Amino acid sequence: MVILSWLLSGFILAFLHFARSEKCKVSTESQHFVAGQPFALSYTIIEVKNNHGNVTCYKNSSETPITLDRNSRVHQYLGWILFLPLTLEDSGIYQFVIRDLGSCQKIFVNLTVQNRSSGWCGDSNKDLAGLADNHNQQTLYLGTTSILVCHIVTLPNSTLSPTQWYKECKPIGDKKKYISRHLALYIENTSTEDAAKYLCRTKLTYMGKHYDILNRISTTLLNKIGGRKEPEIIYPRNNSIEVQLGSPLIVDCNIKDGKENLNHRSWSVNGTLVDFLNSTRIKEGIESNVSCGEKYYFYTVNISFLEVRQEDYNRPFICMSGSSAAFIMFKHPAPNVQGYLIGGPIVVLCVIVFVMCTYHIVKVDIVLWYRSTFHSTLSKEDGKLYDAYVLYPKPKIESQNQEMNILVLKILPEVLERQCGYRLFIFGRDDLPGQAVVNVIDENIKLSRRLIIILVSESSSYGLLKNMSEEQITIYNALIHDGMKVILIELEKILDYTDMPESIKYLKQKYGVLQWRGGYTEGLQSAKTKFWKNVRYHMPPKQYPSSLDSY
Amino acid sequence: MKTGNCNSQAQEAAEQPNFRGIRDIHQQVLVLQEKTLIAVPQDVDVHPISMMSIPCRDQSLEKDKGNPIYLGIAETELCLCCEESGEQPILKLKERDIMELYRNQKAEKSFVFYRNATGNISTFESAAYPGWFICSSVEKGKPITITKDVGKNNIAFYFDPRD
Repeated sequence: MVILSWLLSGFILAFLHFARSEKCKVSTESQHFVAGQPFALSYTIIEVKNNHGNVTCYKNSSETPITLDRNSRVHQYLGWILFLPLTLEDSGIYQFVIRDLGSCQKIFVNLTVQNRSSGWCGDSNKDLAGLADNHNQQTLYLGTTSILVCHIVTLPNSTLSPTQWYKECKPIGDKKKYISRHLALYIENTSTEDAAKYLCRTKLTYMGKHYDILNRISTTLLNKIGGRKEPEIIYPRNNSIEVQLGSPLIVDCNIKDGKENLNHRSWSVNGTLVDFLNSTRIKEGIESNVSCGEKYYFYTVNISFLEVRQEDYNRPFICMSGSSAAFIMFKHPAPNVQGYLIGGPIVVLCVIVFVMCTYHIVKVDIVLWYRSTFHSTLSKEDGKLYDAYVLYPKPKIESQNQEMNILVLKILPEVLERQCGYRLFIFGRDDLPGQAVVNVIDENIKLSRRLIIILVSESSSYGLLKNMSEEQITIYNALIHDGMKVILIELEKILDYTDMPESIKYLKQKYGVLQWRGGYTEGLQSAKTKFWKNVRYHMPPKQYPSSLDSY
Repeated sequence: MKTGNCNSQAQEAAEQPNFRGIRDIHQQVLVLQEKTLIAVPQDVDVHPISMMSIPCRDQSLEKDKGNPIYLGIAETELCLCCEESGEQPILKLKERDIMELYRNQKAEKSFVFYRNATGNISTFESAAYPGWFICSSVEKGKPITITKDVGKNNIAFYFDPRD
């Protein structure tokens, strides 16, 4: 019977054990701690909601749960296994079995207890030396208020005495620079001298017993971070650049940003990052950076164009980083100023030359047209009786003499008087018989606006102006009266003027000469031929008969 | 170390995550335990993880909340992520390639955190759950979680560049 009951109880236990290991979710953890100090072992991860539902703790493969007796050195309290204090023999695998409303979790925690390491304060401070166990690594930040923390294992319902701090084994006395609050030490305006080894010391009281706790802290000094809040875009600066259509192009974006910042740097256009354009023509380059002092980086990221197209002009390409942004725009190159400086005057000169040539060709027509259009305003009363005084020699050759007479006595009056309405004084036609030649000339010249001289080659004439005082007086008068213009007409082409009188040479030089080309047939002459137009051009403006209203 | 002047050698930094040491304001580092991040004092035999961060480039994200970043754990394929679990969001580690997240034009918001820096202290706010911050427990050796109770839990971290 006894055997049966033993067997039954053993069977039940085995069943429970089986059920425990079968149903529960299993996880493993590991922890390290040093011997000699109070320690509370717990699990870190729990997937069961109520983590203090029903916890049972075991050591290694022991079937007996860890005692709940709070006077025991090792006992379970709520979700913890308390070691007061921890010894080397406590190393092992501890099981936490958590049951809650039908769910179950089993956590294996591998605890490694390390031997107390020797202290580092030397003989001068022996009591500290033996206790400095927990080697902890913490960080200081240069130029800021750094915070060191004394990591104490939290035991439930325990009290701690105020923390004492030591720097390089000496108690910290400077209460202004070092402020101890709870388990933390605040170090104002951290300097390089603060990068030292520290000790924090406190007394833990639990269940009426006192436990001395001493942690050593090694420090690493880091540079103060968090200089510049926002990145600074150095280039572009919301500017425009001249870009040739179709040319390749690379534009750099230069950014200064704090090393600790996590800003992204990129180019965008039309609200899309260039990286996401999926374009082979426009691409963002690989970013590069240059360390600038301890706080900053200079970043460079470029945008490259295989060829610049029309659509790229006048739209902003934005380089951005964090909340900073700056754009660049492209514009077409300005025209070549140098080319204009050289080409401009040449063009102007050509135009001037062209206009002058054109004017020279058509000026006669223009003037005649002008006179015929605005004739009334041009006519003015100047006390003159004749429009022109006609002076001509008497050629030796009979045929020439005849031609001269036809020109002077027939054609000139026909065209200039009848067709154009001028009034001529022709010596030998208009002088009255018996008048003194000199008087006639002198008086009538003064009454004339122009002097027309018909020229024949000197050899063929009766020595024009050489013998005839009549002509000489006329010429002199013409020369003396500055206002009087002279029209020279060659009866035929005169090649050689060397034998001509000086006065004729002078007049030819001053006024030029017209050559008669019209022939000697009466009645066929028209004032519209080129020769007559030239003559009329040199004649004073005259009111035309109404029938001849244009040239 | 150079001070004042800039190094003349420019380093090409192709798209790659930024490596950072992370430490809460109570001088606790983070260790990885069974796909969970635990905050513990940096004692002997403790092997702290490094974080990887890379910007999220989605332009539609809020601009004034801080730097939008993805956070991963160095030497793993694990990224930090906020997910709804029951009635409130929780912080999880999920197997994701952080570079793949980076290359997406559209943000995967559950992986995005706004990092805000004041002096050398950083906070990380979930983009998917505004007002929820990554935090460490007052109790030592407890997992990193997210909280909206910024007064009670510690949301301040040192996030130091690893050179």
